[in-house]
Amino acid sequence: MRVVIIGNSAAGTGALEAFRKWDRDSPVTVISDETASLYSRCLLSYYMADDIDQSRLAFRARDFHKRLRAKVILGRKVELVDPEKQHVICDDGSKVGYDRLLIATGGSAKLPSNIPSNVDGVFVLRTIADAEVIRRCIHSGKRAVVLGGGLVGMKAAFALRKRGMEVTVVVRSPFVLSQMIDAGAARIVMARLKEHGIETLTGADVSEVESVKRHISAVKTAIVDSKGLESSGKLQPCDLLVVAKGVTPNMQMVNGTEIQCNRGIITNSKMQTSVENIYAAGDVAETYDIATQQQSVNALWTCAMQQGKIAGINMAGRAKDYDGSVGMNSINFPGVDLISFGMVRPPENQGYEVQTDGRAGARIYKKVVLKDNRIKGLVLVNRIDNAGVLLSLLSRKVDVTGIKSELLSDGFNFGRVLGSRGAAEQARYLKASQPTESYDEK
Amino acid sequence: MKEIFCNIDRCLACKSCEIACAIAHSQSGELIKALQEVPSPNHHVTVLKVDDKGGKVRLRSVALQCRQCSEPACVDACIAGGIVKDEITGIVRFDRDRCVGCWSCTMVCPFGAVIREQDSKIAVKCDRCEDREQPACVEACPTGALVFCEPEEFEALLAGSSSAIWEESK
Repeated sequence: MRVVIIGNSAAGTGALEAFRKWDRDSPVTVISDETASLYSRCLLSYYMADDIDQSRLAFRARDFHKRLRAKVILGRKVELVDPEKQHVICDDGSKVGYDRLLIATGGSAKLPSNIPSNVDGVFVLRTIADAEVIRRCIHSGKRAVVLGGGLVGMKAAFALRKRGMEVTVVVRSPFVLSQMIDAGAARIVMARLKEHGIETLTGADVSEVESVKRHISAVKTAIVDSKGLESSGKLQPCDLLVVAKGVTPNMQMVNGTEIQCNRGIITNSKMQTSVENIYAAGDVAETYDIATQQQSVNALWTCAMQQGKIAGINMAGRAKDYDGSVGMNSINFPGVDLISFGMVRPPENQGYEVQTDGRAGARIYKKVVLKDNRIKGLVLVNRIDNAGVLLSLLSRKVDVTGIKSELLSDGFNFGRVLGSRGAAEQARYLKASQPTESYDEK
Repeated sequence: MKEIFCNIDRCLACKSCEIACAIAHSQSGELIKALQEVPSPNHHVTVLKVDDKGGKVRLRSVALQCRQCSEPACVDACIAGGIVKDEITGIVRFDRDRCVGCWSCTMVCPFGAVIREQDSKIAVKCDRCEDREQPACVEACPTGALVFCEPEEFEALLAGSSSAIWEESK
């Protein structure tokens, strides 16, 4: 059985590892359009900040593919998947045949149409190549603008600031990280940004990029009102612009095939696409979201790794179901450790229950969102130690009636879950370390 | 596979395990010297309150450390590839040299067993005292609440105990 994995990041790697546990012999080929092998995208901002050197970007050993006997084709982009002929066609015209295929092509950074890509000093931050070229443009004392206040934008802003640049973050929302926090947590985050010397322009966008001799000189900002209408804002001189407006799934290679796509490639609980022997995982895949109970693309490292593993197990002929994904993020910068997951700003009048505990002076904020006595979302700022206990309660849809009043107390921990759930939690405690059953052969 | 377990009906919350663990993971390995070490050594086992309201006798507690999960969520979550499950010993290993302090492991650990070293911003946790015959916490436990054994042995131990151990308390 020939296995082909398109993509060489978290999902592709997780899949290869899991597949090889159950199938030692089938030939596996990994194809990636990048020329660098195995590096962690999530570490690129640390590399930009000089917190780590380039060698630490690798998230598996150098001999990883050799040890798992996988053939690796780098620098070649898969342009078409042909489910009929069971092969993929690469940009150099070469064809690679498969019996089982995993599409783990990830996503590409979005570049708004008004941002020119051919002006020096304008970058996205997605690949190691992006990080390298940004690194060469970092000069202490020079001015940088980061467009977008999401996770990547914030990590980039702190990295550039750490390297001595004057940084302005331009964000359409009233506060940064708007997808993962609420106004209460934002107050602490925004105050910390200011203290750290990072300027934020909220309710704003970049309308135009100005350049001198093809090098960026300034951005024209626009003020965005609550209806989304723009009026002209100020001119922000800068030497560097990092665009962090999110990612879009790389699924062009399935266009025109029977593989069904929505926002991402649609998958079932086995990470199978609508074509039986073709699987998808990671930032390109749309999965069931446990918190929102809707199909969604949770483009996150942890989700990609887990989805890759599930795909790998199933591709090896064993049966294992994916419970679904949860949007989850951990971000930290000087003075702020923040973890959030699930639904953090629930719609009103739909039966959601919200508890908050804000201690602005102490820079502590906690919020839990519940529905029908089950945790649906969480935000923790600077009291994050038991975040995983709460995530586990969310993922397992545990009824938390008995401990509802304690969820946000500083004394809450796994001990209380054990106390409230007795035998159910005892089993978890006892069995956690024990090898799970071999997954059924299909 | 042998693991560290805690019998909550025997745990008195005396925190002997915490002290022994911190000493075992100190530079000097001695209590008095360990107290003066900078940074002060961490304990990777923590005594947690199990009951909120007191029962007739006393509050129950549990000494909890990393459960060395067979399918560890932290391994998937680590963006640096710094967490590895040793398939032979069963130990989940955290690599200090790879940790960037992103706390993704904290985000997903269902037991809350990741300890965040405040000075170094590095995630640490129970290493099951690999180089010792008995884990330090088990050795130090004065009541026999902490044991190092196979899970079946532990279940048998609980079954043979007189009180209504680990039952639903309410």
